Amino acid sequence: MIASAAAWRARLRRWARPTLLRRLLFAQALVLVLLWSLAVALFLAEASGDDLYEAHAAHQAVLAVAQNLADQPARQYDTLHAFDLALREGYGAKNDPAAAPGILVRQAGRLIYKSDGVPAELRNTRIGSAETMLVQGRRWRFVTRQSAVSDTRVTLVMPGGGWQLWLTFNSRGYYLLPLMISIPFLLLPAWLSIRLALRPWRQVGGEIAARGPRDLKPLSFAPKHEELRPLVDSINAMMRRLRESAAREQSFIADAAHEMRTPIAAMRINIEALLARDRLTERQNELLSSALSSSDRAERLIGQLLLLMRSDTEACVLPAETLAFDVLVQDRLAALAHLARARGVELELAAETGVSISGERESLMSMLDNLINNATKYSPMGSTVTVGLRRAAGQAVLTVADRGRGIVPALRDRVFDRFFREPDQTQTGSGLGLAIVKSVIEKHGGRIELEDHADGSPGLLVTVQLPLAGPGTSA
Amino acid sequence: MKILLVEDDLDLGNGIRVALVDQGMDVTWVRRLDDAARALESGACDLVLLDLGLPDGDGIALLARLRRERRVLPALILSARDALDDRLRGLDGGADDYLVKPFALAELLSRVRALARRSYGIEGESIELRGLSLHEPTRRVRVHGTQVELSRSEFELLSHLLKRADRVVPRRVLEEHVLPGGQSNDSNTLEVHISNLRRKIGEGYVRTVRGIGYVIDQAEAPASERP
Repeated sequence: MIASAAAWRARLRRWARPTLLRRLLFAQALVLVLLWSLAVALFLAEASGDDLYEAHAAHQAVLAVAQNLADQPARQYDTLHAFDLALREGYGAKNDPAAAPGILVRQAGRLIYKSDGVPAELRNTRIGSAETMLVQGRRWRFVTRQSAVSDTRVTLVMPGGGWQLWLTFNSRGYYLLPLMISIPFLLLPAWLSIRLALRPWRQVGGEIAARGPRDLKPLSFAPKHEELRPLVDSINAMMRRLRESAAREQSFIADAAHEMRTPIAAMRINIEALLARDRLTERQNELLSSALSSSDRAERLIGQLLLLMRSDTEACVLPAETLAFDVLVQDRLAALAHLARARGVELELAAETGVSISGERESLMSMLDNLINNATKYSPMGSTVTVGLRRAAGQAVLTVADRGRGIVPALRDRVFDRFFREPDQTQTGSGLGLAIVKSVIEKHGGRIELEDHADGSPGLLVTVQLPLAGPGTSA
Repeated sequence: MKILLVEDDLDLGNGIRVALVDQGMDVTWVRRLDDAARALESGACDLVLLDLGLPDGDGIALLARLRRERRVLPALILSARDALDDRLRGLDGGADDYLVKPFALAELLSRVRALARRSYGIEGESIELRGLSLHEPTRRVRVHGTQVELSRSEFELLSHLLKRADRVVPRRVLEEHVLPGGQSNDSNTLEVHISNLRRKIGEGYVRTVRGIGYVIDQAEAPASERP
């Protein structure tokens, strides 16, 4: 119930969102209404204007009839009635006295003819000029003319000016009906044609929406349309600039790496050459060892910093490939086993074969290196770091279990922050390792969890999940 | 052992030279590519340590030249560039190994010794390690002076591991490149060969790194670890 209400609200919100299509349709409908109103207004103005004065011929005709047949009242009445009807029909409103002109004929002060619906009280105070009067809640305009040869007076009555006419007009649907009929006929084709015309636009939008945040390839959709081409061209130009700047940044990082590593290498080899001599006093040995460990730290820090910067830019430049993750894990463990052994820690791997993921090899390598180095660094001498790799529910699940003292739950989120180091740390480190790990995993659409061992024994269990490469690729 | 060191950085070059000389090696240090070429022409050496970015060109050019002249000379690249592409470029260019700066002295020495062993093997000398000796051309293996008969696969495995002493060789590499039939081997084949090899040359040489691969350590394993 609640969920469906929320769904409805969401749907409503989606509908309420402005669209260009709707804007175009509204504009079209608005212009249509305005034009029609203008046309109606013009027509009404025309109809209600001073045509009382212009209807001179009608006046004369009625006067003539009234005068000439004054001696035959019955024929006079019939003729006047016929004329009246003809007049009304001419206005297109045969049966509605309120919408058409009417006549009042008086002879010698006596009313001898009155159109249907026209009040008999209408009587001009002056001959020949239009007057307005409110009778029976309606306004009437009327002009009376007098025959030059007799006392016959003919009053031509128009129903009460423009407003009255407008109301009548409306009450018969003359205003709304054409709009209601024409708007669907005009707007539906317009809607269809606009949608059709905007399809290339939606295609561009769709392609941009479909790509990942780091995909900087030019758009493959090349519109032929004059209006869209500048947009697509400038998007592609922007993509190119971003790509170039990422490539520049990457080559800068490579250069910076080279420049920084050489002096550190020199420092290190000189200290080690000195340390390798056996004529050193214990004090000298100690000082040189701490110089060596500082150079170690600087080296690691620079290495990690470069890795982090590279992993930020690289994904834009390097395409992902389908790679055998189990082979990569085995290779990296083999490469790191020697270093682990130097720390008195054994590595062990239990991996399913044929675990393929889609990713970028070098950043995955640095992720593995960091995870395994961390595990060996915090492991007690003589212990084993166990690495596992298996498939589960579309994910490649990598576990790294060590026998160190673990990480207290309160700090498990913070250890991924850059330069965060656990307090009371005895091991040296850059504080960037796990930040790199996290950045790599996020870029590959995976996640990482830090846990205690299920059996409650000391140590940390790191679980990394990365989406398996598409079906068919894992043979 | 005569080593040609090609490194333009003064501090680093001198440091490496002193460190290697202290280890009893004979080091010629040059800082330019043309000096390196001249040194190679004038005198024999066993190994080249090569920096890639040199003031008068790319170290790869020197490797290409060696290859053109068909000289068998092991080369170890020392480079600050650690991207995979750079490594591949170096190894495809004819280098035998690639070490990223900064490196530990122990790592450098271990690689230098491993390369030297390989070159002895090529030139007809034996690879020696803790009483184990392997002679590539005659495919003869002795343990403390006693000759042992190895099958072709066992010999290849031992030779591969011995040349890369101290480095764990992934199972995949051994399965794909050393055993006949490549990867189609079922997963037990490698274990069977290794176990036969151990039976013949004795325990204490080939160490298993579970799930990962195998390694022959240069130094003897601590007594506690022996099976």
